[in-house]
Amino acid sequence: MKVIKIGAVWCSDCVIMRPRWQEIEKENPWLKTEYLEYDDNKAEADKYLGEAKDIPLFVFLDKDGMVLEKLRGTVSKEILLEKINTYKNK
Amino acid sequence: MKHLDRYIKRILKTVLLSLIFGLILSISFMQAERKTVSAEEGSKVNIYFVHSLSCPHCLAERPFLRSLAEGNPNLSLYEYEVSDPQSKYILYNMMSLGVNITAVPVTVIHDQIVSGYLNEETTGKEIKAIVTRKLQNPGSDKVGELINAGGDSRYLSDLEIESIKENIGELSDNNADTVPGVPPENEDSTIDIPIFGRIDPKLISLPLFTAILGFLDGFNPCAMWALLFLISLLLGMKDRRKMWILGVAFIFSSGFVYFLFMAAWLKIFLVAGYVLWIRYLIGIAATGLGGYNIRKYFLTHGKGCDTEDSKKRKAFLERLKRIAQKEKFVLALGGIVLLAAAVNTIELVCSAGLPAIYTKVLAMNQLQTWQYYSYLLLYIFFFMLDDLAVFIIAMVTLRAVGIESKYGKYSTLIGGIVMLVIGILLLLKPEWLMFA
Repeated sequence: MKVIKIGAVWCSDCVIMRPRWQEIEKENPWLKTEYLEYDDNKAEADKYLGEAKDIPLFVFLDKDGMVLEKLRGTVSKEILLEKINTYKNK
Repeated sequence: MKHLDRYIKRILKTVLLSLIFGLILSISFMQAERKTVSAEEGSKVNIYFVHSLSCPHCLAERPFLRSLAEGNPNLSLYEYEVSDPQSKYILYNMMSLGVNITAVPVTVIHDQIVSGYLNEETTGKEIKAIVTRKLQNPGSDKVGELINAGGDSRYLSDLEIESIKENIGELSDNNADTVPGVPPENEDSTIDIPIFGRIDPKLISLPLFTAILGFLDGFNPCAMWALLFLISLLLGMKDRRKMWILGVAFIFSSGFVYFLFMAAWLKIFLVAGYVLWIRYLIGIAATGLGGYNIRKYFLTHGKGCDTEDSKKRKAFLERLKRIAQKEKFVLALGGIVLLAAAVNTIELVCSAGLPAIYTKVLAMNQLQTWQYYSYLLLYIFFFMLDDLAVFIIAMVTLRAVGIESKYGKYSTLIGGIVMLVIGILLLLKPEWLMFA
């Protein structure tokens, strides 16, 4: 399982989510994550964003790169951990 | 949904432009009737009453003046309603002569001006005393001179105004302390609030109103993205002094642009505030914008930051990056100031509602010039409070912080309700908005 994080430095909600993810990554060193800065990776980010263009967006992918779930906006650490635990073996 | 939003915006824009065009046309074509005023020395006294039909203090003064004039054949009463197009020349010329009519009622009795009206026992008594004095010794009839020079049917030239001023001397404000709604000294209007003690609601209501609207407006995240990007750049710098100076310069420039924008609105409302339908126009716009914001809150399901307009934003971000990284500090500082001014000017459209409505309400209150601008500064302070908090926390902790966009959405809802209420009050009960 891998998590793609899409955000931007100018986005307030992305700024809020940054330390939450830092904590999660520190507590779960096995977790694979990748950060996409929206303005630098617009084409790739738009693929995941779909019709709704709001960020931050967190995309949970399985080992084959298939989308398991997308979470958008500010999300609590508890919910993120719950999703990580649900998908960790996928 | 976006099509509907665009459609509503287009309708609002069309209505606004049509009304502005209508105002210009109506002012251009109206002609006022010319009258001649005679003030026979020692016998006749003329009272000039500047009022508004929507002002409760004016409505209280009018019957008093009428009965005063009816009871004395030596008294003549001239009434000028501020929204009446026929009054525009005389009101303009009176202002040129030095009569402050930014707030009504204003009563001019020859060389004496009475601003405001409370009741027959206070201001009424004062007016009666002036009239008695003037019946014995009329002195020069300032407004009468204006009317005799044709000042009720055309704008007098500066030269003509100066010549009238030279002939008649200065006007004196007879009772600068008497303003609409302010009770006489012996009337206690204070209320006892636990912890805070005795407070006069009339003294705190306008500052409180200013603080609430400024704070609500501040949560509108229109230009927050630029500050957050700047913070991300500043956090990468090693020189903390430079970080603080550049950030503070950005915030102050943003506030200054907003101040200029609001001062321009205020000036418009102070100069043309007596035109009744401008109040109706702002009332309708406030009601419409309020409804639009409430609707937007319930119909917008987006979570987080909108990535639309990314091209415009990217160009700005690139420029900001180049400027902040300039080796010469003065260049970086100048660039930041200019860029802050530019981005805030662009984003003004995004947050035009509350400041325009606020300045209209502010202009309806009779204040000194310095007080008007102090209120604008108070508004700006509360408006910038969230930016200041985000910046200071980031600079102290060396970690970027943000405000969840959901608070911006709540402020859209509360701001919408406030706009709707103010809009309805502007249309139906404007006196409730006259705090001072």
